[in-house]
Amino acid sequence: MAPLLELSDVTVRFGGLTAVDQVSFRVEAGEICALIGPNGAGKSTLFNAIAGNAPIQSGRVLFRGDEIQQMTPHAISARGVRRTFQNGGLFGHLTVLENVLVGLHTKVDSGFFGVLAGARKSHRTEAGATRQARGLLALMELEHVADALATELSGGQQRMVEIVRALATDPPLLLLDEPAVGLAPPMRARLGDIIRRLAKERSVGIVLIEHAIELVMSISDRVVVLNYGRKVADAPPAEVRADRNVLEAYLGHG
Amino acid sequence: MSGAARHAPVTAGARAASKLGRLFWLVPLLLLPVPLFLDQYQQYVANLVLVYVPVGVGFNVVVGNLGLLAFSNVAFFGIGAYTSGILMLKLGLPWWATVFPAGVMGGIAGSAASVPALRGVRLFYLAIMTLAFGELMRWVYIRWEPLTGGSFGMAVPTPSAFGWSLDAESHKFYAFLVLATAVIALTNRLLRSRFGRAFMAIRGNEEAAAAMGIPTDRYILLGFAWGGFAVGIAGSMYAALVGHLSPPSFDLSELILEFAIVMVGGLGSLLGSVVGAVVLTAAPEFFRDFPGFEELVFGVLIVAVILFLPRGLASLLARAHPALRDRYYRE
Repeated sequence: MAPLLELSDVTVRFGGLTAVDQVSFRVEAGEICALIGPNGAGKSTLFNAIAGNAPIQSGRVLFRGDEIQQMTPHAISARGVRRTFQNGGLFGHLTVLENVLVGLHTKVDSGFFGVLAGARKSHRTEAGATRQARGLLALMELEHVADALATELSGGQQRMVEIVRALATDPPLLLLDEPAVGLAPPMRARLGDIIRRLAKERSVGIVLIEHAIELVMSISDRVVVLNYGRKVADAPPAEVRADRNVLEAYLGHG
Repeated sequence: MSGAARHAPVTAGARAASKLGRLFWLVPLLLLPVPLFLDQYQQYVANLVLVYVPVGVGFNVVVGNLGLLAFSNVAFFGIGAYTSGILMLKLGLPWWATVFPAGVMGGIAGSAASVPALRGVRLFYLAIMTLAFGELMRWVYIRWEPLTGGSFGMAVPTPSAFGWSLDAESHKFYAFLVLATAVIALTNRLLRSRFGRAFMAIRGNEEAAAAMGIPTDRYILLGFAWGGFAVGIAGSMYAALVGHLSPPSFDLSELILEFAIVMVGGLGSLLGSVVGAVVLTAAPEFFRDFPGFEELVFGVLIVAVILFLPRGLASLLARAHPALRDRYYRE
């Protein structure tokens, strides 16, 4: 069976700058793959390339065996590749509940004319989605903030809501861009636990960009190290820890 | 957490609004006897208010909900008005049969006006490009003389609805009341569905909206088309009201009035658009007997609202009662 996500020789250039240089790796269902490297190593660009937000000059991105590198971000998302954003992708002027409902967008299939006609089916679909969204928030113990505006939450709560929103449609692949940034250590541990359970209990494939190295080492199955856009290591955490190239990447330019 | 107290009104508002939502239909019913109390001129002003309700509602979908600074609204208004006028004059259709076609033409114009936005034009650049669309249409009204009557304009035949002649202002009032109510009700349904949520998501963060599987281009097109449709219907009402269409009615000062309705009412608030239309259409008329005062009132109103109520009169309403807080209006 084809792997969940497979990158082969992916290259992204912006003008003369090669941000991602012939990177290949795979992620299987239920696997946590961390993407680490010094600032400017191309981690976020690679994320954008997978999610359709950055143009790929050469190479292929395969999701469940299908090429997705030419698709638009919304089409890639609708296929089941969901992402979070580094600097917070919540809609600040929508409530937490509405944010999760937007996450459910592709599952709320009310038609345009049905909505205009006030059709019973549209009401039922909407009510069902609202129940589902509240249920998802309850799972993460966030139901008490459901009706708050997203901007009223603490940084940690915002991260959690963004993860709930990304998971709303049960995507097989989740891309997390620095989810632990700005979180206090206990919250960090809880986040790590949640990510771990998503992978192991629900078989979600997870690609994780993270600078909190102890979190990465404790939850990842595999660590891919980027430096200057190139992959310099791809191994289980224990091996990566001992890798010369990795040390050089960090100490040389960190 | 202090946030708990702050977000309570949103919940309470949503609940109260859903309860009061059913009472919405009472408002037009309560307005039915209004013509009994108005003289001919006051009735004309009341009708004008009803024309500007769908103008504000449609404009606000694009500017307030989608969050795109597009100034093509007067083009939709003029196209709706001329569509009705031309269909009545050249094809002899009764007015009521031209209302929907006027809306459709407005919707097509809206779709066309979304092209720069779909190509990624935003902010001031989008404002200027869409403004040009309105000015271009004015040129079309002047040049396409056989259809539009050119600079002299066109006399619109007496409107009629289903065999009834709307020759008295009070008759028009009832027809307009039905149309304005319909536009509000339909727009309300649209905004409260996944479509309205998608509009608001696009306004907040387009990249994140797309990451939720929302085809942002299609929703931007839809928002423009719906805005154009609502405003096109308003244009048709305008043609029936004034009985004479000429290009200067659709100039930049018209755009300023329409934009002021949205800003004074409250960006993103459906109820605000209605209130903005009422205030900005009716208030200056009260001062008509004092020449020059009319413009002054208009100007002072706008400055006062921007200074003291930057989110528009909708913020006053929201504070007055949770039920008056709009679904997607956020201070």
